[in-house]
Amino acid sequence: MRQLIIRIATCLTCVFLIVGCATLGPIYQKTDKIQEGMGLVYIYRPSGFTGGGVSYNVKVGDTVITTLYNGGYYPYFAKPGELELWAKTEAKSAVTLDVRAGRTYYVKGTVGVGFLVGRPHLMVVPESVGETEIAGCKLIPDTSVEAQKQ
Amino acid sequence: MRRTCNQMFYALWLGLGIMMPLIVLVGCGTTMVVTPDVKSTAGIDVRVRGRITYDGNREYLPRTVVDYPAGESGLAFQYTYEVIHGKDGVPQILPLFNPLTIVGFPIGEDTVVIVGRLEISKKNHAVKTYTATSSLDKMRNIFWQGETFSELRRKGLIAVRDNIESQMNRDRELLSGLEPGD
Repeated sequence: MRQLIIRIATCLTCVFLIVGCATLGPIYQKTDKIQEGMGLVYIYRPSGFTGGGVSYNVKVGDTVITTLYNGGYYPYFAKPGELELWAKTEAKSAVTLDVRAGRTYYVKGTVGVGFLVGRPHLMVVPESVGETEIAGCKLIPDTSVEAQKQ
Repeated sequence: MRRTCNQMFYALWLGLGIMMPLIVLVGCGTTMVVTPDVKSTAGIDVRVRGRITYDGNREYLPRTVVDYPAGESGLAFQYTYEVIHGKDGVPQILPLFNPLTIVGFPIGEDTVVIVGRLEISKKNHAVKTYTATSSLDKMRNIFWQGETFSELRRKGLIAVRDNIESQMNRDRELLSGLEPGD
């Protein structure tokens, strides 16, 4: 009986460790070219201990644009104008940007304390901060979004 | 002796029962400071017509200016604003190990500062510049997440717009004199 409990506990630990992990792509490289008439928004999440196993979808309207994993980043090309990015687990976080063509923006995602699951927190950071913090992040492939949709 | 102990025990629980909601409530809500301090007016007393240079959301544009590119007054308005998002200064590792988190101790803070600026020029000469700043601050705890950055931004932009409108209402004599024949 005791061995069975230990096995179950080990399995659950492994499951919890694996959940939230994803195969991330190459390390951050600044995009040389911004699509004409578009702005570039880097959504990134520096690698951290708190909520490391928690990932969440970042949306524009009802469309999932990426699943933000610990230590990942995603470049999103947006049309000029107001752009609201949001994420939700047990609480919602949302930021709005005034996107201008040819400009680059940085939105930082973190995970904060929650009752049952970590809460997403998105915030717009200055370019100088964003460029430094994103340096260690890895590209989140588009396939992670497709997997979440299914 | 036993009765005294029981009374103390109940008093302790009563105290905790009162204190806990208080702790939770402290820090809830958003504080907003708008400068300069101008007496707000209920309606729009003045409307000035001219060419507007502004490519943002029209909701945030002061309603005291009306787009009238064909006007002969030579008036032009340029409205700009800047939104600065505050830094979340609380490392998220702290609330994780802070036992007071469960009774509503703050787990983070969101701040937004918005600076709005309306420049009025006549025939390419600056006539008047209005500026307003709104600063919004919100503490989060485990029971209360509050408004998102998007909501804070919108609230701040509208406060800046209203403040500039109030400043313009105050200067209605000067502004109405800018439009010839009106």
